Amino acid sequence: MIPDWMHGAPRPFDTVLVANRGEIAVRVLRAAKESGLRGVAVFSDPDAGSLHVETADDSVHLPGASLAETYLNGEAIIEAARSTGAQAIHPGFGFLSERADFANAVKAAGLIWIGPPAGAIDTMGDKISARRRMIESGVPVIPGEEIAISESSDHLGVLAAAAARVGYPLLLKASAGGGGKGMRAVHEPKMLRTEYEAAAREATAAFGDGTVYVERLLTGARHVEIQVLADSLGNCVHLNERDCSLQRRHQKVIEEAPSPAVTPAIRAAMGDAAVQAAKAVDYEGAGTVEFLLSDRGEFFFLEMNTRLQVEHPVTEMITGVDLVQKQFEVAAGMPLGLTQYDIGITGHAMEARIYAEDPSKGFLPAIGDLAMWRAPAGPGIRVDTGVREGDAVTVDFDPMLAKLIVHAPTRTAAARRLDNALANLRALGVTTNIGFLRQMAQHPDFTSGGITTDYLDSSDIANFAEPEPDPATLVAIAAAASRLGLDRAGTAGAATSTADEHTGHAGDPFRTLTRSFP
Amino acid sequence: MEWSIGESSERYTAKLTDSEGTLSLSGLTSEGVEQAHGEVSISRDSQAGRLLVEVNGRATFAHFAKVGDSWWIHLDGRIHVVNGHEPGSADAGAGEGGLTAPMPGTILEVHVTAGQRVREGQTLLVMEAMKMEHRIQAPKAGEVISVNFAAGDRVDMGAILAEIGD
Repeated sequence: MIPDWMHGAPRPFDTVLVANRGEIAVRVLRAAKESGLRGVAVFSDPDAGSLHVETADDSVHLPGASLAETYLNGEAIIEAARSTGAQAIHPGFGFLSERADFANAVKAAGLIWIGPPAGAIDTMGDKISARRRMIESGVPVIPGEEIAISESSDHLGVLAAAAARVGYPLLLKASAGGGGKGMRAVHEPKMLRTEYEAAAREATAAFGDGTVYVERLLTGARHVEIQVLADSLGNCVHLNERDCSLQRRHQKVIEEAPSPAVTPAIRAAMGDAAVQAAKAVDYEGAGTVEFLLSDRGEFFFLEMNTRLQVEHPVTEMITGVDLVQKQFEVAAGMPLGLTQYDIGITGHAMEARIYAEDPSKGFLPAIGDLAMWRAPAGPGIRVDTGVREGDAVTVDFDPMLAKLIVHAPTRTAAARRLDNALANLRALGVTTNIGFLRQMAQHPDFTSGGITTDYLDSSDIANFAEPEPDPATLVAIAAAASRLGLDRAGTAGAATSTADEHTGHAGDPFRTLTRSFP
Repeated sequence: MEWSIGESSERYTAKLTDSEGTLSLSGLTSEGVEQAHGEVSISRDSQAGRLLVEVNGRATFAHFAKVGDSWWIHLDGRIHVVNGHEPGSADAGAGEGGLTAPMPGTILEVHVTAGQRVREGQTLLVMEAMKMEHRIQAPKAGEVISVNFAAGDRVDMGAILAEIGD
């Protein structure tokens, strides 16, 4: 049944298939449910019992062991939509979200694609064509050059010549890369070959393309991105910026909105440039235009992500706009219903990405079973996750377990709320970066708002080591727990605890009181 | 039982005194030597996975879960792992100069051969795990005793990739 809010829309739908997994699939499926839409999940074998499947109204199994057979299998996903009566497909991020051919296939199958037109994905998905289009549209770009690498030619010679013209330090990017994969910094000519080979390999492994882009590496710059929303009627607004300067090897660690480095004047100029960039590719839906902001306040276009972004919640917190709901509306052909004048900034939001990784071992991904997973709750705290207590963390997928998002009246309050919420996130059984994130949230370099994109890569990670614990207390706890026979009760006693079995959260406070303190 | 904390190889023992269900720390040794310690007492809590802990008169909760021989403990906003060992047992995985795969994955490059001398921090192998590359570096200067895998090989977590002697 078409929900009330969609009545009269040019392209109404009542069922949406989410072609993704993990926390983003859960996020979109929940939004669908809240909007009165039916949500359909797809899942591969390892995800059969996962939270996103549980959240959906209906689900379709994608057989096969590889991603190509499952979450990257466009044909099977379109068939899954047909068989479950889904009229629309939401791709989430990653996987098929930035594949123009998939967007076209969805439309060719008579389904609604919840995303931008294939042409916009194509243009922006290729860093070289994106840059060309931005130059044409008057959006400022970073000095750099494109190189088409063919197997037979003297590609290293061509690369070295281009690198010399652009100047060191430089950034090598595989044109089809993303999320830090296939992207390498080169600080001196003698490292060019090694880094190129690593970049090419990563890009081929993850995406299957070999074109390379060389650009000047701006040091001491910040990563600031603008969220845009456009409808199919030509309206386009921006929802202010997110600052994602705290990153490690191009993987974002903590994101925030607004940026401590952006003045109202920069915000207005950057917002205009982002809207211009979106309009240059006839954008529709939610997208993000990424910029580098120099310490002198100049900004340069980096790329446009033609999809929802991992860190979209911080924008939702400060603007009050539900981006996924807006995506549904735009896909249905409805007008945005927002003008630039309607969009403000309330307070400050931060997001920390909770990864199964070991900061003390070079951030190596960690695996294991989440013997305990209890997320913090309270005013201004939001946890977007795809895992529950008892779930296994494996090598099959990205090691991001959750996003912890906080909202507070000021930046200082937000940083404190983030630290405190991290302290109350009880994730046991799998090594995570939670302690490292706490050190970051408390660190004067972070709280002063002065982080630039090279900060973590040029820092000694040992500076963020957690305080040494008191061995007596810990050993006494382990010995006492053993003595009390608590190891025989099973993992965290999930069956007997008051934690909600779906979310792992301790549920209703009154229920907790009555059961815990008889 | 002997205990170690996190990655440290230091072994502790604890003596507990039971008083009506409350266990108080009455003795702590590190590597067999008696250690001074504060007042720590622990009692069962009605919620599973949680203990009431009193340290020097201050009460707090510890959340815990047991995985294998390790107790994962969340205390005062920090997460710790306390590993249990049979008394006198050798440290697992602390083989001299052994370099183990931190994750299951695939070997991409092998940069050294047996007999070669390496610097501390020199890249020995490059492996791919979870679609990211990881460099396996020499923890100390020395001579490569063996390299156990070739490019393209799949390895399990904990596999000994190479060994380095003095």
